[in-house]
Amino acid sequence: MVVNTKEVTDKDFNIKRLAEELRNLSFKDHICIGCGICESSCPVSAITVGDMGAIIRNNSPQPKLVIDEHECVLCGICSGVCPADALTFSIANQPISEIPAYPKYNADVEIDDDKCIYCQKCEIACPREAITIARSLPDRSKLVTGEIEIAEDTCVYCGICEELCPADAIDVDRTPEAETINVDKDKCVYCLVCKKSCPVTAIKASCRICSYGDYDINLEDAVTKGSSFIDDELCIKCGWCEGVCPTEAVKVKKPFEGLLKIHQDKCTACGTCVDICPCDVLSFPKPAKSGDIVDNVAKEEQYCIKCGACARACPVEAIEVQISNVDYIPTKSKSWSEKFEALKN
Amino acid sequence: MELKVNQDNCLGCGVCVVACPVNASISPEVSGGHGALKEDTIMMVENGFIKLLNKDVCEKCGTCQMFCPVDAIWLE
Repeated sequence: MVVNTKEVTDKDFNIKRLAEELRNLSFKDHICIGCGICESSCPVSAITVGDMGAIIRNNSPQPKLVIDEHECVLCGICSGVCPADALTFSIANQPISEIPAYPKYNADVEIDDDKCIYCQKCEIACPREAITIARSLPDRSKLVTGEIEIAEDTCVYCGICEELCPADAIDVDRTPEAETINVDKDKCVYCLVCKKSCPVTAIKASCRICSYGDYDINLEDAVTKGSSFIDDELCIKCGWCEGVCPTEAVKVKKPFEGLLKIHQDKCTACGTCVDICPCDVLSFPKPAKSGDIVDNVAKEEQYCIKCGACARACPVEAIEVQISNVDYIPTKSKSWSEKFEALKN
Repeated sequence: MELKVNQDNCLGCGVCVVACPVNASISPEVSGGHGALKEDTIMMVENGFIKLLNKDVCEKCGTCQMFCPVDAIWLE
C-alpha cells in the first residue's frame, strides 16, 4: 500500500510516500521565488502558490506554496521545472537532478578564478546574496618603500603630524614630561605629509619610489589573493554577476529565453513587481530633471530570467512574460517533455 | 488570503484607497487623491473610516497594507 505523509516544519514541508522506494518532495520557502511554474505544471493540481505580493511585501507568516498531500502523486515534475530549485524531489534519498533519466535545465554559473580580480562587484550586485568573494590584501608595507626618522630632541610633541597622518601611522603621547612619538613603519606610506607639516622640522622622511621608481618593490607581494564561492541553492542565474564583472570572469547560462513586456498604460506604479522580482530587474525610473515624465516601471531585461513572478503578482495585468525557448537536457519520457515544452508561451 | 480592515485603528487618511492599484485601474481619478466617482473600487473612506466595498476584486498585492500607517488594513 502506498501512503503519502506530509511533515511541516515552519513554512517548509516534506511529503513522503512509503512504498518500495522512498520518494520525498521537500520545499524550501526562502528559496522559492513565487513564479508559479510548479502550480501550472502539476498534473494533479495539488500545488497552490500564495499571493506573493502580500507575502513578500508584508513579511507574511504564510508559506509561499501549499501542497495538498492527498492530491500529490509524488511524480517530481514540480521539482524538475522549478527554476529556483526550491522544490527538491528525491528517490531513495537521491535528488532527481542527480539521476540521469530525469531531465533538468541547462543552467550554470561559473567564476573563472584565473580572471577574477576579487573586486567584489558581483557580490554586491547579486540580488540573492549568493556570491561570496573572500580576499586577502597585500601588506601595505610591501607596496611602498622609503625612510622616516623623527629627531626626538627637536620634536615638541605638538601632535600635528599624528592628526594629519592619513595612514594612522604616527602615535604621539602628549603626557607632560613623559612625551613620546612613534612611527609604525608597517603603516607609513611615505607620503611626507608629516614632514611638510612639522613646525620644527623634526621629521626626516623620503619616499624611495618617488626618487628611484619601484625597483625594490616585489610585484608578487603586491597582488590581492582570494577565492570565490557561489551558493548554488540561492543562485537563480540572473546574470548580474556577469553583467558587472570588469574582467569577464563570470559566465552565466540561463535556462529560459523570452520577452518581458510592461504595458505602461495599464501600470499604476504600485511597485508589487519591483518588490517581487527575484533578479532586481524592475525599478522605478528617476526623472533626469524635475518635471520630466518617465515610465511607471523600468526594466533591465538582460538580467530577467523570464520566470513570470512579476506577471503573476501584478494586480492590473500590466506585465507579460513570454518564454520562447527552454533549454533542458532531453528526456525519453513524453509527459516530462510535454511539461517542459508547455512552459513556452 | 483575504483583505481585512479594522475600523477601530483606521484614521481615515485614505492612503490605502489612493495606493491601491486595482482602485486606480477601476477609477483613475482615485490615484490622484480624488474621491471615487463610482462605487466599484475595493474600498473607500466613508464618514472618516475605511469601508470595504468590493473585496472580491482584490488581487492581493499587499500595497494597501504596506502603506497603511496604523495597520488598519491587511491581508491574511
